[in-house]
Amino acid sequence: MNKLLKGELESAFKDVLVNILEDTRLAAIAPKDAVLSILSFLKNKGYDHLALISCVDWIEEGELELVYVVSSYLQKNNECTGNEKLHIILKTRIPREKPESKTVISVFENAEPYERELHELFGINFEGNEKLTPLFLERDYKIPPFRKDFDTREYVKETFDKIPFVEEEKE
Amino acid sequence: MRELELYFGPQHMGMVGNMSITLKAEGDRILEAQTNPGWLHRGFEKLMEYRTWIQNFPMVCRINVIEPDSMEMVYAMGVEKLAEIEVPERANYIRTIVLELSRLSSHLFGCWAYANMLGFDTVAQWAMYHRDLVLDLLEELTGARVYHIYIWPGGVRRDLPKGFKNKVLETLHTIGSSVPDYDATFFNNRLFYERAKGIGKITREEAKELGATGQILRATGMKFDIRKVEPYAVYDKVDFEIPTRQDGDAYSRVWLIRDEMIQSVHIVMQCLEKMPQGEVYNRIPNPFKWKIAKGEAYVRVESSRGELGLYMVSNGEDKPYRVHFRTPSYPHGLIILEKLLENASIADVGNTMISLYVIAPEIDR
Repeated sequence: MNKLLKGELESAFKDVLVNILEDTRLAAIAPKDAVLSILSFLKNKGYDHLALISCVDWIEEGELELVYVVSSYLQKNNECTGNEKLHIILKTRIPREKPESKTVISVFENAEPYERELHELFGINFEGNEKLTPLFLERDYKIPPFRKDFDTREYVKETFDKIPFVEEEKE
Repeated sequence: MRELELYFGPQHMGMVGNMSITLKAEGDRILEAQTNPGWLHRGFEKLMEYRTWIQNFPMVCRINVIEPDSMEMVYAMGVEKLAEIEVPERANYIRTIVLELSRLSSHLFGCWAYANMLGFDTVAQWAMYHRDLVLDLLEELTGARVYHIYIWPGGVRRDLPKGFKNKVLETLHTIGSSVPDYDATFFNNRLFYERAKGIGKITREEAKELGATGQILRATGMKFDIRKVEPYAVYDKVDFEIPTRQDGDAYSRVWLIRDEMIQSVHIVMQCLEKMPQGEVYNRIPNPFKWKIAKGEAYVRVESSRGELGLYMVSNGEDKPYRVHFRTPSYPHGLIILEKLLENASIADVGNTMISLYVIAPEIDR
């Protein structure tokens, strides 16, 4: 099954690199412009469950890696065929300095909160997603907090050491 | 009519857990709902990048307060996959028992939340009492009531204590013999039917489109359960059913919780029967010096609310490079809840939310 999909992906898209990691796992590396069309291709093939959009900060290479995990729901007859075990990890790299990508909401509607989270925690701008509002955090950060160069200890020192103790205030 | 903005939660009678919803309402009708998570955001995924593979175990269970064992399981599975560690057969049986007991306690908590919200206080107290009995078992096994830190890479921390099997059977018989009482007072009660039928209805197509898993998807008739789709532990060696319903409303979802508890009891009974003797853990390298080879993994388990996944990247160091949890409540609470609340009535907000079984700490992480 995975060999078949690897062949189909490679023949449909020129610049995609597909690796079979295990029987149930396929990793594809693609340029960022091809992501939307690959996802819609996979969806038409029956891989209709976008489980997760994640991001890895490869600071030494100066790149952020967007990771889309796609698998499939049960198909029409509602029975396990073994096909659902397969999941595809689609990866694309964008520069850290100019982290921009296109939204995939038009293919998978549930991408919206994942992109919103990555916008907040990694500072990635998803073109076309209108709801990139703050999700978890209440303060503004100079560096998006989940990037590798954000130092949590220094941040705590800078932010919270300035607040005086209650006893000091009384005096 | 005048448009009003209402704040539902984080401190509200109808709200379980720390989450809030901003509602735009006209009279009793909701025009727009907006979920506001973040009250419990502790940045666990970032903190885990600063700690060794083993140091992360006390943290990973705290991501989900209600059902910590499935979190431990998915993290242990991720580490095992990256480091290529085998798990002994007996440990897999014990893991399954712990996971199912934990599912039972989580579902009983869910019953408490739903019954309490509808005003069935008696049933709610029964569910809380029975959950406590399950927690007693887990306490005897692991030494802690809520955060067990029991499932470990390479197996489980220790073997079952003496006489544990009989205690489990006794507790399961106590809970099982009260099922007729639950049915008579709650599940077959006309009030429950009237209040839950047709609330928060979602079709199968919509559910698939919005990334639903767990009871929300199974209530629309799809038998999607990771335990069957991609079996882990010993779920391929025990015999159990995946209960489904067709209507996709709150009534179906709450019935599914009840039916799944009965299946959990069957699984635990079978595991206790079939369990082989032997080791319960494989030795792992010295945790202080343990480096795991470069690689990435996506593993998933069926938690009590749906697909719980973990994407983990190792950079060849003694700490994970990146950890990202795919929690089931994330799409449920952030998109499906917002969609279902459009055009609903204000009285149905708590009903919809609790029937979706959304747990806030899981969203925030």
